[in-house]
Amino acid sequence: MTVGKIPSIRLRLANALLLWAVLWGAGVAVAVGYAAQGEVDELLDESLQSTAAVLASALRSAYRDASPGWVAAPLPVSDDGEFAWQLVAADGAVVQRSANAPEQALHTVATAGFSSSPAWRVFGAAMGSEGRMLYVAHTLRERIDSRAEAALSAAFAALSIGLLAHWWLRARVRHELLPLERLSDKLAHHDPLDRGQALGAAERAELAPVHAAIDQLGQRLARRVAHERAFSSHAAHALRTPLAGMEAQLAVALRECTPEVQLRLQRVREASRRLQRVVQSLLDLFRVGADVQRSVVDLKALLAHLPIEGLAVAVQTQGALRADPDLLAAALANLLDNAKRYGARQVVVSEPSPGTVRVVDDGPGATPERLQGLREAIAAQDYDGHTGLGLMLADLVARSHGGSLSFPAVAQGFAVELTLGAQGTDTV
Amino acid sequence: MRLLLIEDDPTLGEGLRDFLRADGHRVDWCDSLAATDALRGEPYDALLVDWQLPDGSGLDWLRARRARGDPTPALMLTARDRLGDRITGLDAGADDYLVKPFAPEELSARLRAVSRRSGAGAAQARSRFGDVEVDLSACTAIAGGVRVELTAREWALLEALVLRSGRIVLKADLERLVLGFDSEVASNALEVHVSALRRKLGHELIETVRGRGYRISERASS
Repeated sequence: MTVGKIPSIRLRLANALLLWAVLWGAGVAVAVGYAAQGEVDELLDESLQSTAAVLASALRSAYRDASPGWVAAPLPVSDDGEFAWQLVAADGAVVQRSANAPEQALHTVATAGFSSSPAWRVFGAAMGSEGRMLYVAHTLRERIDSRAEAALSAAFAALSIGLLAHWWLRARVRHELLPLERLSDKLAHHDPLDRGQALGAAERAELAPVHAAIDQLGQRLARRVAHERAFSSHAAHALRTPLAGMEAQLAVALRECTPEVQLRLQRVREASRRLQRVVQSLLDLFRVGADVQRSVVDLKALLAHLPIEGLAVAVQTQGALRADPDLLAAALANLLDNAKRYGARQVVVSEPSPGTVRVVDDGPGATPERLQGLREAIAAQDYDGHTGLGLMLADLVARSHGGSLSFPAVAQGFAVELTLGAQGTDTV
Repeated sequence: MRLLLIEDDPTLGEGLRDFLRADGHRVDWCDSLAATDALRGEPYDALLVDWQLPDGSGLDWLRARRARGDPTPALMLTARDRLGDRITGLDAGADDYLVKPFAPEELSARLRAVSRRSGAGAAQARSRFGDVEVDLSACTAIAGGVRVELTAREWALLEALVLRSGRIVLKADLERLVLGFDSEVASNALEVHVSALRRKLGHELIETVRGRGYRISERASS
């Protein structure tokens, strides 16, 4: 899984918080809108009732002074198109009304108290003993507008609070995840094999188990590496010393034996030396990847110490490499040994580019199919049954330097190229 | 050369001892550091020391000798092949460092190289003293253009003096360098070998320093 596809804790929390804020705002808006609807209705009804009381008082005073048969003209009581009143006689005729009141009576039958028509909310109050009714009303549209205004205000306030909370919580999440980022930075440079380099105390209680697990893992790794190093050291001593003894005894025997036996002893000595190279390669394999100690390597001087009997080695290099001299020597020794075993008589070692060592021999080379097989085996590190010990070791040495092993096409012979990574070159 | 070989592995120790003896060297082989106590004070031309020995570190043993001012050339013979090990070995006082397994022929060549490099007045592989030419690597002596056959003891005596040319070699040291611990030799054996060498290579080659020992004659060296 690539980094881009891995879910982000911060992003997931931020999205969850945003969703929560929107839902919270919507929920609060609905709840507040529902509550506001009742309050608005109640408030508007109270205002209708109060207005009716005031109007009734004013109209009683006006009619007391009027002559019989007087018909009042509509009065411009209110310029608010949403509010109206009517004074209706007992027979349902409108005696007087506000300018925006309908000409027809809101109720032809006397109706006291609150009532609703398709367009109006009405409050009726009796006026005197003649059966007159005062109707005070406002439009239902006004009532709906008031309700919507209250609900929108509530929703806007709730949503604002929700988004503010989202912004604040998102900042807190980012802040709380910083210790995790710092732990990642520490781990990037943490070397569990370096006893002087501690991971330090956890910054958050939740990270303490992670610290403990990493420390335990580091200790196990350090123990394993120490064990392998000890084994490697013991194995080196246990294997090299008897081989040296065989070499010395054979050298003495070769001097003392008859010519007939000499040939056989010489073969034994060659086999012994082949065994020495295999043992050396196996011991080098233990070291690869454990710790690469780069230093400036003079390729010519290095190759001068790797003589392979019967193989002429030409070196075409100007500068120096920065590589682990022991590992590079092990890789080159194995490549030269391979060249000899596959029938080469001459090898050219060159540096086609800085940090790259190419070994080309004049042997029979490999078929394109074999080359392709080698390339695939090396790319997949599938050595078993596909490459010999020498190529495997050379590949591991290249990889331990951050580089790779390749097989460039050549007109004649066989070519192997060791790329030693970005730090492979240096000036001397 | 008279060599002290410290190697605990019997196959390797015996093989090296026999190979170096066949090369004309006198070799004392010890299989532990404790065994070297009996040889304390003995003069050697070179030391061949294994690093890991059953009773201690050959490196520490060498370091202690260097601390006492012993300049005898020393080669470390060890299974430790890491760069750091080689640096440690050379820093501890080893003049050369040979990683096991090695060819005894290479050890012989390195011994000659170390002995050439070591000390003041170090001998070259081929040295000329008047009309006598000595080739230490080929173990040959030529006087007046004619190759001279020498016995093993005569060669050991010549080699000991050539390696220390310009210096007086005490008679006691020379006896131990040439004769080793051979109790069978007569008390005047050294004088006999000196006489034989003078007879074969010329009387001017070896100068007697009365009461002290012998040295390659300054006249022959000039």
